[in-house]
Amino acid sequence: MIDALFNEPNYLAAKKLMDATALRQEAIASNLANLETPHYQRVDVAPSFTTELSQALATQSPFQIGSVQARLEVDTTAVAQNKDGNTVDLETELMEENKNVLAHALEAQLITGSLLRLRLAITGRSA
Amino acid sequence: MIDMLPGIDCTTSALTAERIRLDVISQNIANANTTRNIDGKPYQRQQVTFETALRRQETGDGGGALTHTVKVAHVENDQRPPVLVYNPAHPDADHAGMVAMPAINLSEEMADLIVASRVFEANLAVVKNSRSMTIQTLSIGKRS
Amino acid sequence: MNPLSAIRHVDAAALQPLRAPKPALEARAAQTIPLEELEKVALEFNLNPVAKPELAASPFANTLAQMVNEVGAKQSAASNAVNGLLSGQSVPLHQAMIAMEEASVSFQLMVEVRNRLLDSYQELMRMQV
Repeated sequence: MIDALFNEPNYLAAKKLMDATALRQEAIASNLANLETPHYQRVDVAPSFTTELSQALATQSPFQIGSVQARLEVDTTAVAQNKDGNTVDLETELMEENKNVLAHALEAQLITGSLLRLRLAITGRSA
Repeated sequence: MIDMLPGIDCTTSALTAERIRLDVISQNIANANTTRNIDGKPYQRQQVTFETALRRQETGDGGGALTHTVKVAHVENDQRPPVLVYNPAHPDADHAGMVAMPAINLSEEMADLIVASRVFEANLAVVKNSRSMTIQTLSIGKRS
Repeated sequence: MNPLSAIRHVDAAALQPLRAPKPALEARAAQTIPLEELEKVALEFNLNPVAKPELAASPFANTLAQMVNEVGAKQSAASNAVNGLLSGQSVPLHQAMIAMEEASVSFQLMVEVRNRLLDSYQELMRMQV
């Protein structure tokens, strides 16, 4: 019955998105570190994660949302810019980094909002 | 160590590697006119190659080792032969008046310098962003 | 009009004893049933022949016990996440923070339920008989 407190679909989805955001931050760090490394392939969160999560969110089932896992994958759509086979592009990575920081801020807000709302419901006081 | 900043080991390795690269480039620039090295020959341009290395930390999803740190594979001498320049007044001129100058193109070195600086700054930005994200994570659930 | 006047005087003779059971039933009732047969019947219906009569556990007590267990589970999950974080296993920081906050909210709920129960108990005790 305690688990039912935390089974709201939006809250669960925000937690999963934050998992993906943390992973993406690691991917971007690795990509930017290896900007000049020959034959390095760009890494990112698997694109299937977004589709799986939106499908699970459409079903509104906590079990479905909980079963989506974020993982890293080599980005097969990136093309090598120069002949040493490195597929990382500086501007693309910096854009992804900006988007990631904002996404993280949004997810932190959503999660904090849900937790504070629960506390308000329990105690009747907002502090 | 507590793993609070995601990917920090990748970024620190990149900062170290790029700094070494910057050192090598500035050494090349400083020795663009060195006709007599320690071994008596003109200065040979040096070049840095990077390679990936295994991380000590795992990614948060416990997945395969797709992310890598970077390290300098070797600092090696370039294979370009010295450029012969006609300058009979130079102390190192041979009997034909030709001086063997190091094969260093200043504009090429400056371009490399700019690229290395940009990579360095990009990695610094990643550290700054990771730090602000972690501080934000620490205040999840707290009243603002 | 006094409602009590509706109670008429009852004649002692009117209070007849219950009719006695019929003789056949009476004879049958006089026979004793052997213990083995009783035990067989008990086994068949899965009754405990020597069970003491006890009150059934109240469903609300079960609910409370379940809540305490679940809150304990949340606390240990949070403790495990923090342990993993501190010992350098790659537990993401946000998962540890969220686990701690969820454990705290669950605990707060349990404390609030306890407070309300105590308040209602004390209110009951204050009621004059």
